[in-house]
Amino acid sequence: MYDILIFLALMALGYGFGRYAEAKHYKSIIQREQDLQHLPAVSSKVLPKVTHVDNILVSGNVVISVDYFKRFLAMLRNFFGGRITAYETLLDRARREAILRMKEQAKAMGANIIFNVKMETSSIYKGEKDSVGSVEILAYGTALIPKQ
Amino acid sequence: MKYNNPLPPEGINTSQTSPLKELLLLSTGFIGLIVAAVLVLGLFADKFAQYIPFETEVELSSSFEWDEQKNDVQLYLQTLANQLAMAQDFPKDMSITVHYIDDKTVNAMATLGGHIIIFRGLLEKLNSENAIAMVLAHEIAHIHFRHPIQSLGRDAVISLALSAVGMTAGDTGSILNSTGLLTALSFSREQEQASDYAALQSLKNYYGHINGATDLFEVLMAENSSFTPHITFLSTHPLSENRIKNILNNAHAQGWDTQGKLTSVPKNIQTLIQQQKSRPNPEG
Repeated sequence: MYDILIFLALMALGYGFGRYAEAKHYKSIIQREQDLQHLPAVSSKVLPKVTHVDNILVSGNVVISVDYFKRFLAMLRNFFGGRITAYETLLDRARREAILRMKEQAKAMGANIIFNVKMETSSIYKGEKDSVGSVEILAYGTALIPKQ
Repeated sequence: MKYNNPLPPEGINTSQTSPLKELLLLSTGFIGLIVAAVLVLGLFADKFAQYIPFETEVELSSSFEWDEQKNDVQLYLQTLANQLAMAQDFPKDMSITVHYIDDKTVNAMATLGGHIIIFRGLLEKLNSENAIAMVLAHEIAHIHFRHPIQSLGRDAVISLALSAVGMTAGDTGSILNSTGLLTALSFSREQEQASDYAALQSLKNYYGHINGATDLFEVLMAENSSFTPHITFLSTHPLSENRIKNILNNAHAQGWDTQGKLTSVPKNIQTLIQQQKSRPNPEG
């Protein structure tokens, strides 16, 4: 009986906080993407033939954890198959956040463009039965900073 | 070349489904599947059980511990059981082991691996060998028809199915323990009736008549009317009154003699039982 109550409480907490945090995060992401629009990040490997620039590695990374509600939903999904929609927003937010952090770093260093942007994802915590607990997303690229 | 980052349109990399709706849909489907699986397994467990080899039963039961007495009473019961098994065309590749327990419980039971447990309490009440033979033949019939594994099969199959999807904690070992291999095996009314009938046939084959067969149920009826907390035999069995009626009906239909000469329990066995009964032992 207590197990069920604890389970329901965790589900409600996961759902409530998860929804709140997600809405807040998306708002912040969209705002910052607008603010940093003047600093393009492109995946092209070919750097423009310009002189008087420094090529600097910039990176941004973020670690996200899955909440109880989403994990349960994903577990059920594992059983039936199909898209784990519960994780989609999570990874979308993490990916955009990582790019934003990379851009923020580049901006702080005075860059005006980032080339060769790459992304990597790794699971950094394996929980019970190797289930994924947390995921790290790393975005990195080459920032072009004009020489003073 | 001019580079820029236009803002991406929202909602392409994410699905706009309601997580609560998905949860409801998935969990309903999941629970439905489990219920269906349990129903199907429970329905067919009886049918599967008979394909489980008897050796598996013996293996499963090898870890049982019997708080038993190995004395002349046990030997007498074992010999009688072997003879009754022969009278019942008991399969040659199966075996019967009788365990005699020195306790005032009025009970007898059959469990996995061909084990029969009989308590002193029941023997005290039975006045003839024929009545004891009825008890033994009834339990032998349970084993003959593979009732213990069928009964366990249903419980075990369901528990295993639930634990497979993580609904219950615990391994197979604890399932076997929790289903209580010894006492919690409950047989259905049909199983009891089949065993009663087979037991009557064995009695007829062995003694030539079925006199004494109803003694067991009369004892149980008497025990039931007086207050005793030790009766468990009755609770899982069809009403004794009905069983007496069934026995008499069967006997009449088959033309079996119900008035044959009763065989008495050997004197030394009677004495031994009486000694154990009157022994000053608070636990006995």
